[in-house]
Amino acid sequence: MKDQDYRSVPVSPDEVTPQDVYLSRRKFLKGMGLAGLGALLASCAPAISTGTEGLVATEDLREALTSYEAITNYVNFYEFTTNKEGVAELARDFVTEPWSVEVGGLVENPRSFSLEELRTNFAQEERIYRMRCVEGWSMVIPWLGFPLHKLLAEVKPTGAARYVSFESALVPEQMNAASSGMFPFPYLEGLRLDEAQHDLTLLATGLYGETLPPQNGAPIRLVVPWKYGFKSGKSLVRITLVENQPPTLWNTIAPQEYGFYANVNPAVSHPRWSQATERRMGESGRRETLLMNGYAEEVMPLYAGMDLKVNY
Amino acid sequence: MEQPSRRIQPKHWLLAVVHLGSLVPLARFGWLAWQGQLGFNPVETALRASGRTAVLLLLLSLAITPLRKILNLAIVQPLRKPLGLYSALYAGLHFAAFAAWDYGLDLGLIWLEFTQKPFLLLGLGALVILVVLALTSTRGWQKRLRSGWRWLQRSVYLAAVLAVAHYLLAVKGDLFTLQGDYTRPLLAAGALLLLFLLRLPGLQGWLQDRLRRE
Ligand code: HEM
Repeated sequence: MKDQDYRSVPVSPDEVTPQDVYLSRRKFLKGMGLAGLGALLASCAPAISTGTEGLVATEDLREALTSYEAITNYVNFYEFTTNKEGVAELARDFVTEPWSVEVGGLVENPRSFSLEELRTNFAQEERIYRMRCVEGWSMVIPWLGFPLHKLLAEVKPTGAARYVSFESALVPEQMNAASSGMFPFPYLEGLRLDEAQHDLTLLATGLYGETLPPQNGAPIRLVVPWKYGFKSGKSLVRITLVENQPPTLWNTIAPQEYGFYANVNPAVSHPRWSQATERRMGESGRRETLLMNGYAEEVMPLYAGMDLKVNY
Repeated sequence: MEQPSRRIQPKHWLLAVVHLGSLVPLARFGWLAWQGQLGFNPVETALRASGRTAVLLLLLSLAITPLRKILNLAIVQPLRKPLGLYSALYAGLHFAAFAAWDYGLDLGLIWLEFTQKPFLLLGLGALVILVVLALTSTRGWQKRLRSGWRWLQRSVYLAAVLAVAHYLLAVKGDLFTLQGDYTRPLLAAGALLLLFLLRLPGLQGWLQDRLRRE
């Protein structure tokens, strides 16, 4: 088992309450015969459990969870508004059922997955991840979901597929700012195929053990914890395997500021926000930003031989 | 309206409106802080509120002279100085929020930020000018600097240009294609442009003529 160099920041004592409450709920879930409490304690180690038997805590960061209120009320979702604290209200009535995700492109079995299938065909696991926004703030979020590679395995990418493109929903009638012309929606994101297949890359359907609320990208969203938050597209409707690097929204608008890779990297600066340090929601002061958001050990092999300052 | 006299009498009620109005954003911020209503990222809230207020007050203070000249409204002239001083105050608070609150006066980190982010240097330029102008705004300094004083005061336009540029660059997006949330900073830039245009003697005279004929 690998050691835990990158993520040994202790819980700050003033932040334990939400986690305490939450942990007890998690124990309750475990108690329902899903997995032993021993597994929970052992999960202080970073190894990713590939358990398929239900809710499994796959990682314990030993960092305080960000409160549910902050996670669900402080979000960037520009199709609704650029005001982070205004999204929750505006997205409240966003219709997420019925929903389906079209998975196609360079795959052997292109097909559409209904929300029902996404929730039941794939064992939902819990993953506690850091989430680092390019704006210089961060959170710790207990997601519920399943690794993207499981979905990709069902559609079988062909040998020609090298990248994955993610398209978010664009429903102007329900999204106040979607047709304002401020941004060229639909929101597009993309990953290299090996990044998409990495076990950390998650398709999330919930957080804090509950269904994902609309403002956080319901009903299903991407979570790529070692990249800046904008890489994790919300409310996905299409996942397409392609041969060439797909266009992504921020990279199209301002390529000099938002690279395709957008890996969290304190050594690569951004013209506006500090990337050397970050403000953890709920904490005072700033903390140092970790290379790959603390997941360097797991993901650095993906970038072997690459200059991360050039491929930012 | 009464004919303005040559010597400008400060209208106390107008000054009171300016003082109160300029303090409202600060009072509101204090109230929200007291109520714990500064949102999930209070530092960001403070930076944005103080920055926007500083720009607004700066533009208002620059609007005073054209307003007086074109509308022949001499009573507004005494408002220019307090508006400028309040703008400097909010700019100072903005900087304090950045340096003390956000970065905990960690000089190493602050230096790193300034070396890496051009938009901060624009803000710094604007701040320095505003502070120097505020400090030299007294009669004593006016006498000491003589003709240099008026010249110095004109740099307020440079401060405004720097501040608006800082604002435009503080927004997430791309300025060239205007993809992003540029409504507010563009309004500020438009207002500043208008103020520059109104200083053109030809335009000023023409507007004066038209308004007087009506
Ligand atoms: C050394 C001086 C300054 C520093 C370090 C500084 C720093 C900052 C920072 C870090 C932001 C980004 C806040 C965010 O969105 O996260 C910002 C935004 C801003 N600053 Fe400054 N600033 C300085 C001077 C000024 C001055 C002098 C003015 C106005 C007279 C000003 C007006 C603004 C405005 C309007 C914004 C945008 C707020 C918004 O997004 O709505 N700044 N500044």
